Amino acid sequence: MKPSSVDAVIRGLKKAGVSTVCYLPDSLFKELYPALDADPDIRTIRVTNEGEGAAICGGIFLSGKRAALIMENSGLRASVEPLARMGLGAGIPVIMLMSYRGELGENNWWAIPHGITMEPVLNALRIPYRVVREEDEIEQSIVDAYNWSYNAYYHSAIALGGSIVR
Amino acid sequence: MKRYDCMKLLAERLKDELVILSLGASVDEWYNAAPHMRAASLFQQQLGCVTPQAFGLATGLPHRRIISLDTDGGMMFNLGILATLGNEQPKNLFIVVWDNECYQSIGGPPTHTAFGRVDIAAIARGAGVEHAYTVRTLEEFETHCAAGLVADVPYVVVAKVAGTVQPDIKRKHSDGREDKYIFVRHVEATEGIVIMGPSEHN
Repeated sequence: MKPSSVDAVIRGLKKAGVSTVCYLPDSLFKELYPALDADPDIRTIRVTNEGEGAAICGGIFLSGKRAALIMENSGLRASVEPLARMGLGAGIPVIMLMSYRGELGENNWWAIPHGITMEPVLNALRIPYRVVREEDEIEQSIVDAYNWSYNAYYHSAIALGGSIVR
Repeated sequence: MKRYDCMKLLAERLKDELVILSLGASVDEWYNAAPHMRAASLFQQQLGCVTPQAFGLATGLPHRRIISLDTDGGMMFNLGILATLGNEQPKNLFIVVWDNECYQSIGGPPTHTAFGRVDIAAIARGAGVEHAYTVRTLEEFETHCAAGLVADVPYVVVAKVAGTVQPDIKRKHSDGREDKYIFVRHVEATEGIVIMGPSEHN
C-alpha cells in the first residue's frame, strides 16, 4: 500500500470514531499494520484468528467504543461462525476492512480461493459491502460502513482491491 | 461440586460488575442464581465467543470489572484467546471456565477434558495467563473468586463441576436480541453513555 492509502484508511477510521483495531496481519496491508500500531489514538489488538477478532470487536461494541476488524479476505471465512452468531443471533455488529486477495490480476495460486469465496460468503451472511479500488473513495467508504452498521446493528465490510493494495 | 452452588457464591460477591456468559443450561442457572445481575449479564449461545467478547468489553471499559463465565467446550473452541490475553494482560477481566467435561446441552457427550490429559488452566498458564487455577471444592472456588475479582492481571479459574443441571429452575424466555438490548441499556445507564442512540432526522 502507498503511504497515502494508509493515511486514507486511518483518516476514515478516525472520522468514524474508531479507537480500537483488532487485526491478524497479511501481506497486502503490510504497511497499514505498523502505521496503526504507531498511531497514538488507536489501540491495536493482535489476534490469533479473525473469528476471535470479530468476537473481541463485538465486545467493544457493547462497551460503547468503536472497533474495526482488519484482515485479509480469507479471514472472513475464519469469522463466519462468530459473525453469524453475533449478527443474526443478537444484533451485535462488526465492521470489517479486508484486503481483496484473489481478484482478477492475482498471481498466487493459494489466494484464488479468497477471491472466489469472499463475495458469496458476504452475500450468504447478508453483509453489505463495498469493493474500493480508488484511493479517494477509501475514507468516505469506511465512514459509510460505520453509519450503516450503527443504524442496522449488523455487520458491514469494505474490501480494498486493485491498485490500492498492488 | 455443582455449578449452581458455585454460581450462588460468585453472585453474592457481585454488584457493579458486567458478566458475559454461555452456554446451554448454565444460562438458565445463572439467570436463577444471580437475579440481581440480570440486566448486567449478557446471555450468549456461542462456543468460542464468550471470553473474546468479555475481553472486548474489558478493553472498552477499563475502569469496570468484567466477568466471563465460559465453558470447557467454549474455551477449547478458541484457545487462541488465552494467548491474546497472555499478551494483552487486561487488568479487569476475571474468567471462570465451568468445566463439566461434557457437552451438556446436547445430552452429555465428553469434551476433551474428560480423559484426564487436557488441562485448561495449564494451557492458560502456558499462554501467558499466569494466574490460572483448577478448583474442585466450593472453598477453593470462593478463595479464587475473591482473588480474581480484585486482580490487576487476567485471572482464570477452571471449576471442575458435575455434569448435572440444577432441577426446577425458571427458564429464561428472552432471545439473544432482547438480551442484548437489556444489557446495552444497562451499560448505558450505569456508564452514562449512549451505545444505541436515536436515529437522525433527515
